[in-house]
Amino acid sequence: MSASKKTMTLNLTDTEMSALEDLCSKKELSKTALLRQALRLYQLVEDRIEKGDKLFFEDKEKKEKAEVMML
Amino acid sequence: MKIEFTKDWCMSMAELEADAEIGAGLVAIDPVFNGETVAVKSAEESIVAFSRFVQLARRNRGLTIEALAEKADVEVFELVTIEEDGQYKPDLRTVYQLANFFDVQRANLLQVAGLIAAKDTHIINEAVRFAARSESVAALTAEERAALDAFVSVLSEQK
Amino acid sequence: MSVSVSNVFLLNAAAGKAEPAELLHAITDKQLADWEAEWAPELLSSLQRLHRTGVARARWPQSRHWDWRRKATALQGMLAYPGFSVVCAGVTQGMMILDVATKRCRILSQGGKNLVYVWFVENAPWNRKELFDPPRYRGVGSILIRAAIELSKDLEFQGRIGLHSLPQANSFYANTCGMTDLGSDPDHQGLRYFEMTPEQAAAFIAKGGKT
Repeated sequence: MSASKKTMTLNLTDTEMSALEDLCSKKELSKTALLRQALRLYQLVEDRIEKGDKLFFEDKEKKEKAEVMML
Repeated sequence: MKIEFTKDWCMSMAELEADAEIGAGLVAIDPVFNGETVAVKSAEESIVAFSRFVQLARRNRGLTIEALAEKADVEVFELVTIEEDGQYKPDLRTVYQLANFFDVQRANLLQVAGLIAAKDTHIINEAVRFAARSESVAALTAEERAALDAFVSVLSEQK
Repeated sequence: MSVSVSNVFLLNAAAGKAEPAELLHAITDKQLADWEAEWAPELLSSLQRLHRTGVARARWPQSRHWDWRRKATALQGMLAYPGFSVVCAGVTQGMMILDVATKRCRILSQGGKNLVYVWFVENAPWNRKELFDPPRYRGVGSILIRAAIELSKDLEFQGRIGLHSLPQANSFYANTCGMTDLGSDPDHQGLRYFEMTPEQAAAFIAKGGKT
């Protein structure tokens, strides 16, 4: 983790911004913190998918797995 | 991210921490030392090892699932399910056929597949260990081969 | 990419004095090399010393070391899995890998919020009283837990952390760290799961007095 940070501008549609604000509110995170978290998650998902793994959601009660289609 | 640790803080906490053990996480488990105190795995966990074993043993022979199904005379669909679903309990006949094909003791493979009760914890522990050591990547790595060989020798043990 | 370093101090038990050390905000090849060349041999020989049992050496999962190195190498560069290490006298004294993306709080009052999960933390064998008496350095655990807390704050997770403690470390996490014990976790080989709230995190830092 280097100390320096780079700044970028992000253009979002109204719907996207609305979704972002809802998430931030629910998770009590700033927009920056949330989007950085999203990046971490995205990188790790991509890494697994590239290795040939599949992403699943599991229904807790039924113990059934449904694949999240990753294109 | 910058963290400032004062000498006083470090020393105060060092006194409080004293000689405490601090290990956390499964990977920090010491061989033997912690291994004994960790709960013995249930049949459910070893089924994952069964799934991995079939997959690795198949790939080690350079076979596709279809080819293995044909050679071992088992259903393709069941083989796919065995390899994809780590919780799937296979058919008795299928395990018999696979044990014969891979040349391991039937009783041992049946225990790992969760079809008969484990006679001793050794097989199950080794199965869990094998499952942890094996990962599904395209080509069998030297480490995977070593893991597979070790597990095969366990499965070949006669009681 | 350069590695951030924080200056810390360990207590040299024999000398009874503070010794300067470094907290690296990473696990580098140096740590992996130390783990294999310095830690592993000491660990195995002290286990051998302590456990003259009938367990054949061939049955010891020594390959676990290879898995760890491969896993740690695979995690390099992954934003979701930052590492920290403590180095003193040119040797790695402690290591920790965190998961900052996939885990959520289990304490009900925390409402499923994000936390920093300590995937793995370990002290060098010569710092462990179980293996070496007296241990060489003290304070590695506190420094690493503080690092996890500070990262949690930096990520806006308010200092929340969670971990599965090894049996011998339950007391450290329950008492010294003041974490909440949520009990034995059947999905995690029965290890006890501990979690720290923002208030507990602040209390832990305050415990050391002058920050």
